[in-house]
Formats: sequence, structure tokens, C-alpha cells
Amino acid sequence: MTNLDPDKIKVILATDCGSTTTKAILIQYVDGEYRQTHRGEAPTTVEKPFADVTMGVVNSVTEIAELAGRRLVGDDGRIISPATDTEGCDIYISTSSAGGGLQMMVAGVIAEMTAASAKRAALGAGSIVMDVIAANDGRRPHDQIQRIRDLRPDMILISGGTDGGTADKVVQISELVAPAKPQPRFGSDYSMPIIYAGNKDARESVSEVFSEGGFDLQIVDNLRPVLERENLGPARDKIHDIFLEHVMAQAPGYDKLMGWTGAPIMPTPGAVGDILQTVARLQDINVVGVDIGGATTDVFSVFDETFNRTVSANLGMSYSISNVCAEATMPNVLRWVPFDMNERELRNHVKNKMIRPTTIPQTREALMFEQAVAREALRLAYKQHKEFATTLKGVQQQRTVGDTFSQQTSGKTIVDNMALDLLVASGGVLSHAPRMHQTAMMLIDAFEPEGVTMLAKDSIFMMPHLGVLSSVHPKAAEQVFDRDCLVYLGTCVCAAGQPKPGKTCFKYELTGDRTASGEIVGGQMELLPLAEGESGTITLSPSRGIDLGEGPGKKVQRSVRGGTVGLILDGRGRPLELPEERAACQSTVQGWLDALDVYAEDKEPMAV
Amino acid sequence: MAKAYTPGLLVTRHKKHRIMRRLPIAGDVQVKVGDTVAADDIVAETNLPGDVHPVNLANSMSLPPADVVGCMLKSEGDPIALNEPLAQTKGLFGMFKNTVNSRYEGTVETVSPVTGQVIIRGAPLPVQVRAYMSGTVVDVREHEGCEVEADVAYVQGIFGVGGETQGCIKLACTSHDQELTKDRITDDMEGSIIIGGARMTVDAIRRALEVKAAAIISGGIDDQDLKELLGYDLGVAITGRENLGITVIVTEGFGEISMAERTYEMLKEFEGREASVNGATQIRAGVMRPEIIVPLDAPPAAAAEGKFEEGQLEIGRMLRVIRDPWFGMIGQVSGLPAEPHVLGSGSKARVLEVTFPSGEKAVVPRANVELIEE
Amino acid sequence: MKRVLVALLLLACLPVVAHGQTVTLAAPSNVTAQDVPDDVGNQVALKWDLSPEDRADADGGRSVTGYVIYRRVVQTGDGLESGAETPSGSGVMAFADDFDYEANQPVGTVPYSVASFLDENVEGGVSYMYAVAATGPGDTFSTLAVTAMPVVPTMEYINQGKIWFLIIMLLISVVIIYFVFYAKRGGQIKVRPIAGLEAVTEAVGRSTEMGKPVLFVPGILDINDIQTVAGITVLSNVARTAAQYDAELKVPTARSLVMTTARETVEAAYLGEGRPDAYNEDNIYYLTDEQFGYTAGVQGVMVREKPAACFYMGAFYAESLILAETANSIGAIQVAGTAMPSQLPFFVAACDYTLIGEEFFAASAYLSNDPEQLGSLKGQDVGKVIAALLLVLGCLFATLSGIFRDSSTLQNVNGYITNNVLGEDGLVPEWMLAAELDQTQEAEQSAQPAGDGGGN
Repeated sequence: MTNLDPDKIKVILATDCGSTTTKAILIQYVDGEYRQTHRGEAPTTVEKPFADVTMGVVNSVTEIAELAGRRLVGDDGRIISPATDTEGCDIYISTSSAGGGLQMMVAGVIAEMTAASAKRAALGAGSIVMDVIAANDGRRPHDQIQRIRDLRPDMILISGGTDGGTADKVVQISELVAPAKPQPRFGSDYSMPIIYAGNKDARESVSEVFSEGGFDLQIVDNLRPVLERENLGPARDKIHDIFLEHVMAQAPGYDKLMGWTGAPIMPTPGAVGDILQTVARLQDINVVGVDIGGATTDVFSVFDETFNRTVSANLGMSYSISNVCAEATMPNVLRWVPFDMNERELRNHVKNKMIRPTTIPQTREALMFEQAVAREALRLAYKQHKEFATTLKGVQQQRTVGDTFSQQTSGKTIVDNMALDLLVASGGVLSHAPRMHQTAMMLIDAFEPEGVTMLAKDSIFMMPHLGVLSSVHPKAAEQVFDRDCLVYLGTCVCAAGQPKPGKTCFKYELTGDRTASGEIVGGQMELLPLAEGESGTITLSPSRGIDLGEGPGKKVQRSVRGGTVGLILDGRGRPLELPEERAACQSTVQGWLDALDVYAEDKEPMAV
Repeated sequence: MAKAYTPGLLVTRHKKHRIMRRLPIAGDVQVKVGDTVAADDIVAETNLPGDVHPVNLANSMSLPPADVVGCMLKSEGDPIALNEPLAQTKGLFGMFKNTVNSRYEGTVETVSPVTGQVIIRGAPLPVQVRAYMSGTVVDVREHEGCEVEADVAYVQGIFGVGGETQGCIKLACTSHDQELTKDRITDDMEGSIIIGGARMTVDAIRRALEVKAAAIISGGIDDQDLKELLGYDLGVAITGRENLGITVIVTEGFGEISMAERTYEMLKEFEGREASVNGATQIRAGVMRPEIIVPLDAPPAAAAEGKFEEGQLEIGRMLRVIRDPWFGMIGQVSGLPAEPHVLGSGSKARVLEVTFPSGEKAVVPRANVELIEE
Repeated sequence: MKRVLVALLLLACLPVVAHGQTVTLAAPSNVTAQDVPDDVGNQVALKWDLSPEDRADADGGRSVTGYVIYRRVVQTGDGLESGAETPSGSGVMAFADDFDYEANQPVGTVPYSVASFLDENVEGGVSYMYAVAATGPGDTFSTLAVTAMPVVPTMEYINQGKIWFLIIMLLISVVIIYFVFYAKRGGQIKVRPIAGLEAVTEAVGRSTEMGKPVLFVPGILDINDIQTVAGITVLSNVARTAAQYDAELKVPTARSLVMTTARETVEAAYLGEGRPDAYNEDNIYYLTDEQFGYTAGVQGVMVREKPAACFYMGAFYAESLILAETANSIGAIQVAGTAMPSQLPFFVAACDYTLIGEEFFAASAYLSNDPEQLGSLKGQDVGKVIAALLLVLGCLFATLSGIFRDSSTLQNVNGYITNNVLGEDGLVPEWMLAAELDQTQEAEQSAQPAGDGGGN
């Protein structure tokens, strides 16, 4: 399907079929580069009474066609491809998260080893992992069986054992799954796909276990052939295949849609992961992306070309807002709010937001509170991500006598805020904040970046489209990502270490499109103007014990890029600590908000 | 755009209501199309496969897994009682035999030569599905379940805990804005559905539990009270499986909020009638709200047609603001500006103008109102 | 007073005559007896001035060859209960005029030129009078020199010399008790993560994934060695993890008692995890007491069964590197723990993780998370900090006082640390005692004339 010559692709049409809206974008080759030119939106039509996803697609594409003055949908109701000078597109691609996306259950032998690898494979493929079954998950076998019974996954991924390793444990896990007879979400004529990606010596026994009972067993290479190495590719590809063949085929209209696309339809989060990986690879940077929704928060990271994705179920801004407050605890949420609030009333507000998730904050106070909740949701999601994104566990270590007093365990997180270059935000509360300053502040407070980090937001949630595009035409995807997808908020310079309040934290000197110099004291934040399109070089001289990227006290020189917010200098130190005492905390937070001009009332508000 | 779609909770005096009663797994449906069923009639029945108990015989007999099969005293499919011998080792010259007795009752399901594990399945668990709502069976799906239909008065609540139950409607408050406190609940409310007015207190719910009421319904509840009742802070609004012994439904929201007058008046009218209630709430894709269903003997002669199209925002419609600063207040749409408006929070959003009964006017985002269906 | 006068009179006309012996030598003088402080009351120290004749003659001979010490119990009712009222010379009541040197058994003798004696054979609470006589060749004696006052050895409840020991011990005990209570009340005590113990789950998990056993070697010493005990604590944790992870655990032992203990421990651990069916007694077995026989046996297990994780927890000698290298060659994760300083480098170099000495013993607190153990661990750490601080201070003052020899303050401090804190001189510093002594002497001197007047 994708044997097109990338150089000949000039017009690209992409859609993302979300659970409520279908978004379409048009990318065209203009003046030697790829640009996103038009976009359209229409309600998704998967559910009754329409029950045909292509209707929504055609509606959204028609909107683009009107805007672009280019005929895209033919008389037969199909998208016109290939393109001529005036009509059609060279390639049409799509992602989908309609109908709740791809829901999986994964199983492995040891939760921290093969089961973790299986989870990584499933998450990386863009699925929602409903549960992880492992021999050591602390549940009794009948509890595990009960759990498998209760879940209604679209497919199951079973892994376990190194090649030549344990066979009976893998068979044991299979023997739990088979009698539980998990029911698929779609109809009873759907046979449950099982992907086996474990010990190759156990393949035969596993096949035997699943030979009866209406399972569709697919065998791929072991995703952990030895404990020292992960091989997620084959399992991930198989998940995509099954997603298309089985899951999508069950959703109304998808069979038709699949015939239109020039590349396989991908689950939306999988596509987001792909674009971030592509960008990280092409620009040689480390990227963290976050998508905070009403119910869940997705965190993606690429560090040294290792991709990780986590989905924090129950950390979100509407359906899950009450859970965020419960998990983070109210005092932790309230520390970001610079005024007093009645806790009882607040608890009721939170619950009311939960049961009426579509409401929006009307007053400034309500907005500040909601953004405080967002900070905590992001912080918790990022914490979960750090715990999950680790080096492999169960690996033999090589030691010398020099390691006597510095023995490190394996399985340390690979998320390193100091090495982070780009932080991309998307999701309502972040991308629709009235002022970009608020988005920037939420990101800095929640993620606590260190050193020099670019902040950006996804303008119209274009990342899924570009993710699929990156599998066909990475260069075009990267160009559009950089120019049209991201809205750069600016660069933040954050000191790591614990600076003394009021004492010099670091000195800076900015040259380039703007010049400035001065010093930041401990606990201080400052915003320097550096507009979009402007750039410069900043030289930083941190005080003793303060690290800005080259080690404590070492001088740093970095090029910085401006954005809608500017250049943010943060001397609060890391890990970020707020005063315990309520009044002191309020005045401190107010000080930071004032310094960054976060809630300016007289400024022109941003469009929603 | 003079019209906008803003869904509200359904409160209606008459509706043809159809419910699906489904078995978790295939089983027997015991009714046929056209049958009249009462709320607590059993409409379908099945047996859930029993619990599964794996027994590691290889370990308990110190045998290689492959030898386990040869030592089995029971073969696959055989029933086995508690403490009945399950397997026996060959022993040495017929001596020193080691016998393993079953610690579970059930059926030997599988014997694995790979793991040396025997799986014993416990006795099947009977599952019965009741009609839940009195009505007529209109459709039967072989082995799966049936659909029951009835003419009902129907009230959707906003949030509830606890599952399906039935009882007689009894009013505990005298007006829609009266708090439902402990002293309003009397001993004669056993098995009934208690209707309150405004906020209900946790003490009232406890008292209702004491008198063994089936359900308790009011306008609002304090989150703190809910937490006390459940024993934990509810994180995600997916409820219905709590084992409280009572179903709790709030019709409006959390905090000091009165039940909508219309809802209250309607329930008052039905005092003494049998009703079915379900507290199950699921606020996710595929939203589920708690419900109060009052089956009617006959559809009202002339069901008054609403003068407005369902779900359409129009000038003159009654609505309720569902977010602070005017949370819970009811008013009438008095303006629908087409242009987005800058809110106090700094966001730009589509808004409407609402006039409260006091004459006060307010501008609120359209996302923050809920139509009152008439 | 009258009684005193009579005693004086009697002493003055003491004609010192006896039966078989000759009393010719000059007597020692100024005999004093003192209760030894800070004891249980069974010692009295005597001092005297040497006899004037205690010196070598021109021809090398000696007229005084030693001293004999006599003791008398002073009966109550002798009118001498109150020593303070007894003027010098009142010994007449205890030692008769016609004292028979030979018939009376001396409590001790000392050679010439020695002017002190420690009587370690007295009873607390009893009044004693002492007399010392010089003795020479041929049963020659001097007259008895009697102590001026009777002495009553007393039991002290506190040994002043060890008071610093008490203070430090109390301090550490209080700290430990504080932390135990703190931990019990739910206070958070952070134990530095010990990589070797964190790695237990990883190593056992690796075994499960690879379908290989876990090998646990509890050292080659018997259960009476504290390292073996610590090793068994770790074994309990390893067994729990193995039960959770469903891994096979093998424990070859070099002592039969260790085997029994290990079996009990492992069975309890499996039971605790609700997996009694997974416990196999035959996997914990005795090999041999012979050091290298045992080593060869364990090596054999390693080579044949290729365990994916090996634990060495206990006392090890020359076999440490043999074991660690063999397991390394089969690609096992290895965790070692021992308090044998000579073997630690080998383990560190060959193993993935090593618990070093203290860490090994702290393991049980770390693993159990039991507040009592955690609290005492923390308390002991504070004790170690105190000891380290004292060490640093001591070194500092010793160095300073060596450099500034003129500074009396420094000398005093140094002396105090050496003699009082570390030595047995009690709480009150020496220079203060000296000053006090001076004061009392001065006071005594100023009081003297009046006393003299009274005496005469």
C-alpha cells in the first residue's frame, strides 16, 4: 500500500477518528516545504444511528475541501486519490480511538520483567492496558481468573520466559487464561485473539492450551529473548495487525475506511508515540509529551531513542478529577492556589465537576483551582511514568572493586529531566488555557524540568495525524510538526539543586535577537521577553551546588528559542519545595504567578 | 445559531421505557414474549462456572510433572468431594504410598503434564436475573435475556450509589427545599423508597438503613457525608456495586441543593406507588445515570406535549446552572448571544444570558447549564 | 573528752615489750588507712612513712627487711564507733601493749622500701584498725605504728571512675529507646536502600524467568556464628520472594544444624506466603563439614544446574572466590554478604551486589521493617556518630595540646579526655579536684590551731 515515492507526495489528507469528533487536516507541499494548510471537524459517526465511521470522515474532509477549494471527495463518496493538480490527495491516512480505543490485557511471568516488557509493547502500540497478570502479582490464581473473566479485552498478549527459560510458568499463565474464557467486547462470534510472545520452547504447549475454546492464537518472536534485551517490534506489529483485522473490522464502517487509506490505520496514542519518536530521532533530542484528558493522562517519553508510554487511568480533569484530588490529597492541590478556599465547598465542587464533566470554569478562582488540580494530575502521571520507564530488570551487573560503596541496582528510571530538550503539552486544560503563560507554568510546576528545556503545545492536536504520516513520509511529518503542529511557548531555564532563598542562584547573559543580563536569586522566577521566531544564546553561571546542565557550579552556554511566553528563568531549585505553612505558601506562589504574569486580567485573552 | 444542544437529565411523567435484562453468560430465559412480569419475578437463570482452584500435585507428591497423570485417581471430568483422595504415588514395591486428598470440592477439569498442575472447578454458582421493572416482555433472546417494556414515569438522578431495588415511594420532607435529616425518617419506612427535599445528611442515611428502607433519594449530599457513608473517597464515578444495603440517589448534585421542584412534585404525586430504582452511575463514554422508574397502570390520556424541542436551547426555556458561582440556581434563558464571550477566567466561550426568578440576570457559558426537560 | 585523755595517757606510757621477739627497730610512722573509693567495700588501702632504719647498711646488709601489717576489728561498744572523735594513739584499745608479733597473724607483709599495702580481704561496714611494724632478720620488730582512726570500708553504688561510661551508655540507650518508640508510633525511619537486598527480587525473578533454580549458600560456619544467623535472616527473605515468584530454592549447607535451621526458616517463609505446597524439603540439604569438599559440592550444583541467581550470605574463607567465579561463569546474578574483611574484595569484584559487614547485619532490620529493629538500628547509628565525634574531638585536643604546651586550658582538656572520659578519673576534672583539695587543706590549716588547742 505504501509503495509511493515520497518525493511525489504533494498533497496529504489525514484524519483522526476520536470518540466524539473526527478531525481532518490537509498537508500540502508549498514553496519547497510541507505545511498544514487546512483543517476540518465533524462529529464521529461510529455509534448509532449512523453506525458508519466514514460518514464523519467524509463530512470533515468536505469541510476542508470547501476551505481549500479543492475537490477531495468523489461522487461515489470516496476520497479521491491519487491527486491531480486540482483535486484529490496523493495519500490518505487515518488514526482511530473511536469506541474506546484498543483495550488489551497482558500477561507475563514476573511483573517487573517479562510482564513489564509485554506492557511496554502493548502501551507502545497505543493500547489501553486493562490489567497485567503475572505469577508474582500477589493474587491467588482464582482471583486472577476472576479478573480475566471480568475484563473484556480486545486481545490478550502473553509473554514470559526467556528463550530456553521457564516453560511451565508460561503454560501455567496460559492455563489461567484459557479456562477463564475472557469475553470479547464485540459479539460472541468474535474469537479472542491471543498473541504469544514468550519462550519459544513453550510454543507447542501454549498452542495446545489454546487449541480449544474459540481462541485465535498468534505466535511471534519472544519479546524478551534474553533478560538483557527487549525485542518489542514483532509483538507491537502484531498488535497493530490484529487491531486492524479484528478490532477495527468489528467497528462499523472501518472495513470501508481501511480500503481508502494509503497506510494502516493506527490507534491514536500509538501514532502520537510514533511522531515523537520520529522527531526525537531526526533532531537528536529527548522529548516528553503529555496528553491530559478528562479521564486519563498519557505520558510519552523518548530518552536516548528509547520510547516509553504510560497511561495513567483515573488521572484526568473531568471524569477523574475527584480521583486526582483523592490521590494527590487536597492540601497538595491547594498549595498551588494563592488564596483561601473553603475545603468542604471545594470538595463538593470537585464532585460536581465529576458528575457534570463538561462544565468549564467561569471565574478566575475556579480556573486557578482547576489548573492547580491539573498540576497535581500531571505530577502524579509523570511520577508513574518515571517508575515505569526504567532500564531492564533482572540483568547481570559487571563490577569492579571501585564499585564497593556505589552499587547501583538495575531498573533505574531512564527519565532524566536534565537531559530533556522538549516538553510537548496537549489536552484541554493545557492547550485551551486562556493564557499560554498558564500552560507554561503548569508544565514547569508539574514536570520540574531542569537545565534548559523547550516548552511547546500541540496547537490543534495534530500529532496523531503526523504519527501515521511519519511511517510514510518522516521528513514531511517532521516539517509539519515543527512549523504547524507545535506552538512554542518558549524556553525555560531551571536550576537544579537547593539554592538558598535570597542568595544568588545563577547569573545569566542573553545575546542574540534580544540582550539581557542579570542574576536570579533562590526562589525567584523571572520572565524575559523572547518572542516567537526570535532566538539567542544564553550563558549561565550557576552558584556552587547549582546545576544547569554541566554539573554543579559549572558554566553553561546554550542556544534558546523564543515563543509566545518568552524565556523563563526559574531559580526555585529542584526538587521543587513549597512552604509548608499556608500563608507563606500563598504569598510564595502569588509571587511566582506575578513574576510570570500568569493571570494578568488586562491582557487580551487567547482564543479557546 | 439560535439553537444549541444542551442535554439535561430526563424527568418525565410518561415514557415508554424498555429495559434489557441480560444474563452474564448463556442460560435459560424463563419468560416468553407477551408475559406480564412483576418487578421481582425471575426472568432468566443460569449457572456461572464455579471458582477454579489449581492444585500443584507435582510439588506435593515430589514427582516430575509428567508422572502426575499416571498417579491420578480421578480423571478429567470426574467429580471430587472434599478430602477425597485425588492422586496417589506408586510408592516403593507397593509400599510407602503417598496420597493427596483434595482440598476443594468440584470437578477435575484438567491435568497438566507440563506443570503437574490439576485444576479443580468448584460447584457452579446459580445466577438469577429479575425483571426489575413491572411490565410486559416484548422480546426474548434465546439463552441471553429478554426485554421488558412498560409505560412509566421516569426520573434520572445525577449520581447514586447502590444497585437495583424496589419499594413504595414515601415522602419524608414537606417541600423540595427542606433538608432530609435523621428525625424525618420514621419506623414505618421499612422497604420503601424515601424521598427527601434538599441535602440529605449521613445520619439520615444511617437512620434509613436502620429502618431497612430500600432507597433514599434527595436533592443533594455533602461529599464529606458520602465519604463517611462509603468509608473511602470516591475517585471515579463508576458506582452501583457498593454493598451498603440501601440505594442512595441524588437528583441534583453535591452540596446544599434542593431537588428540582418539578421532580419533587411528580414524586409526591406518586407517593404510595411501587417504583424501581437503580443507583448505578457511570460517567464515562456510555454514560449511565441513576434512575427512578414508576410503572403506570395506563399511559396518561393526553400526555402534554412539551412546547420545546428536546435538548434545544431556546429563549424562554428553563434551565439550571450547574457550576459556580450560580451553582444550582434555576432560571430562564433570556438571551443567546452568537459571539463567544470572554469569561472572568479569561477564557473565551459561547455563553447565554439567564434571568433568575429574582429578576437578576447572569451570563454563563453554555457548557455550564442544564436544560430542564418539560 | 575525758575518755580521749585517758587513751592519750595510756599511749604515752607504752613500754612495748613482748615475749619471744625483740623489739629493736625504729617503727614506721604516719600510718593511714583509707577506704578504696568506687568499690563494693572489700578493700582498704594503707600508707605509711618508711622506718628511718629502712636503708642499706654500709656492708650491704639491712636491718629492716620488710613490714608486717596487722588488723583488728573494732567492736562496737568500745567507744570507738565514731572515728572522728578518736584522737591519734587510740589504737590501744585494739592492739594490746604486750602485742605478740608471732602469735598474731598479719594480714599481709610487704618487702622493704614499700610504703603501701592494699588489704583486699575486708568486709564492708566493719570498723578496722591497722598497725604496721617494721621487721628485720631474726624476728626483730619495731614497735607497732597504729592508724590514727579506724577505717570502715564502704560499698559505693556508683563507680565514679566509670561515670563517663555510664553517661555514654545512657545516652545511647535513650537514643535507641527514643527511636524505637518513634518508629512504633509510625514515625518514618529511612534506611538507606541496600542495593544487595533490593536486588533479591530481581535475582529471584531472573531465576523464575529463566526456569533455573536459586542457590543460597549460608557460609561454612555453624549456626553459633553471628554471620550465619544473619545469613539465615536473609534466607528467610529470599525464600519469601522465591515463594512469591514461584522459583525453586536450593540451599546446600556445610553444617547439619544450619540445614535444620534453614529448613525451618524456608518452610515458615513458604507458609507465610501461602505456598506450603511449593516447599520442598529435599532442596535444603547437608553436603559435608569439610571446607573444600563443600566448596566442590556447591560448585558441582552450579555447573550442573546453572542457577540463575546465587546468594552467599554468611562466613566465608578461601572458597569465596572459587564460588563467585564459578557462578559468574554460568551467568548468574550473584549477591554476597559477609563480615569477613579478607573476603569482601573478592565478592565485590566477582558478584553483582555485595553486603558489606554492617550492611549484612542491618539486613534483618531492613528486610523486616519491624519498628523495634529499625529504631534500634537508627539509635545505634546515632551512637556511632557520637563515638566518631568523640574520636575526632580527642584527636583534635591531643594534637593541639601537643603543639601548645603552655596552654593550661588545652592541657586540662586533653587530660580530662584522656583521664576522665577515657580513663577512670570520674566526672570531676583533676585540676578542679586539686583546687578543691587546696581549698580544704587551706581550710584545715586555718582550723588547725583551734584543734591543737583542744587536743592539748
